[in-house]
Amino acid sequence: MPLASNSSAQPAPGAAEIAALVEPTRVHRRAYTDRAIFDLEMERIFGRAWIFVAHASQIPQPNDLVRTRLGLHDVLATRDPEGLVHVVLNRCTHRGTTLCSVERANAASLVCPYHAWTFGLDGTLRSVPHRKSMPASFDMADPRLSLFRAPRVADYRGFIFASLAGDGPALEDFLGDMTDVLDNFIDRAPNGEVTQEGGAFRLEYRGNWKLHHENANDTMHPGFVHESSVNAAREDGRDYAEPVYDEHQAHVQMLSNGFSVREWQSLGLQGLANGHSYMDGFYTKGILSPDRDDPISRGYRDALEAARGREAAAGILAMDRFNNLVWPNLNINAQYQQIRVVQPVAPDRTIVRAMCFRLGGAPEGMFHRAVRFLTNLSSPASMIFADDAEIFEKVQAGLSDGRREWLDQSRGIDEAVGNGRIASAGTSELPIRGQYRAWLDHMTAAP
Amino acid sequence: MDRAAVEAFLYREARLLDDGRFEDWLALFADDGLYWIPALPGQTDCFGAASIVHEDRTVLRMRVRRLGHPRAWSLTPQPRCSHLLGNIDVAPAADGEIEAVASLQVAIYRDGDRTRYDGRQTVRLRPDGGDFEIALKRIDLIDCDGVQCVMPVPI
Repeated sequence: MPLASNSSAQPAPGAAEIAALVEPTRVHRRAYTDRAIFDLEMERIFGRAWIFVAHASQIPQPNDLVRTRLGLHDVLATRDPEGLVHVVLNRCTHRGTTLCSVERANAASLVCPYHAWTFGLDGTLRSVPHRKSMPASFDMADPRLSLFRAPRVADYRGFIFASLAGDGPALEDFLGDMTDVLDNFIDRAPNGEVTQEGGAFRLEYRGNWKLHHENANDTMHPGFVHESSVNAAREDGRDYAEPVYDEHQAHVQMLSNGFSVREWQSLGLQGLANGHSYMDGFYTKGILSPDRDDPISRGYRDALEAARGREAAAGILAMDRFNNLVWPNLNINAQYQQIRVVQPVAPDRTIVRAMCFRLGGAPEGMFHRAVRFLTNLSSPASMIFADDAEIFEKVQAGLSDGRREWLDQSRGIDEAVGNGRIASAGTSELPIRGQYRAWLDHMTAAP
Repeated sequence: MDRAAVEAFLYREARLLDDGRFEDWLALFADDGLYWIPALPGQTDCFGAASIVHEDRTVLRMRVRRLGHPRAWSLTPQPRCSHLLGNIDVAPAADGEIEAVASLQVAIYRDGDRTRYDGRQTVRLRPDGGDFEIALKRIDLIDCDGVQCVMPVPI
């Protein structure tokens, strides 16, 4: 049973009303501004679809737990003593107290700070104080006294997803061909293990959660939005033949947004079922390119070849896909060991959680690069993402005015249509249209 | 060690940021100077853990160049900034450097919004003729690992 939406009392918009918000070439501004639509998104998208909640390396041992979000819900991803992973609501069933106030912990049980009601890591109620004062009808085994538990939790090779729907497509069916990039993420580790390390950022912007996804595979914005950082990098005339740990990567990350329209157009763009999409990589220079050949990259390639063989290693390193979007809340850059998790807060508020990973068996320098990549692209002070977030806020501010009601999403529509794997030229708005097809599927499904 | 001179330098540095004179601010840094805003409380590792900012002069120079660009959207309109330094401690450090630790409050106003940054600023100064250059400017924000909005300018 889905958790009830926790906000307005407005009647939910009907299927016909929702369907009227999305046309092939445009979408109505209400999809970004209307509280009732947002509430329905939390119920029918974040309350039903597979939502990425954590990585297994965040809870490697029995009794480990990590605090995370499932839609608007404050939840704990836990590993019970048998090794099973659960996702439980971080709320005591007695008086509603928040149980856990730290990001990560190892604990044999969850003890409420108010009256010490105690729960197992699977959410079951274990004990209450002064048991004899409870009435005869108080049944410890009553499931209503257990922590609310997401009915479905599944992981794809360590990437843990939860669904608040009791039934629906299996995780692998939902992921479809996006399993390729998750496989590649893991296969890049010479020992086959990736671990989330190096810290994380939580960046809040005052805009709708969908804006982040719509921007991820949009190649017509970097030349304008990121002009200031492209320009700053271009003015920097240094020769980076000998990569320095830091300057080189920052330089390439900023410079690469300066592609010409022709170059962006030549990139491949893939739209998949369920709103997923990805584009070809465009960090084609220096230590971020697939054929990088600096000392750290050589050491890494040697380690991967030793583990997998030359041919397999070459195949793994050749995959160069950027901003792999697992709609509705995960964005992956496997080749740089990065993920972003998009957390809706309100129609006009979103938190982006960004983190990086260590490739097991790779030289330490590779991890340092992943950390540096995270800082450069996803820090609150990022010279690149700061301008994206600013644009999201400007869009949201503009959409508050209802005099013009529609947003255009027609770019490249003559090139490809359909709902499935579609390849397109790099400048198409195909991914946005695909996201809205998935959005409509969820939002107009029977309650 | 001239405490008054150190304080005067810190105030001058803060005033350059308040006035948006970023090129002049950058010029205060030593060639090997670092600007560091950790993302973890008490962070000691700048390579194995991400930072809000960890930039040497080369990257900082790109940052400053960007600040002057007419289409740096997170700087349009230009933020206005006010630094307040207090509880300043000055002590000698290794290699003839001086370490100045201060409580820091920075208010930023831009386009109708105010943002506040609070924390501790640690500056390592290297005597340079009759003046100083910055070997390290580190700011430990009290909410460095919390939810942040965009930090539009160096603080």
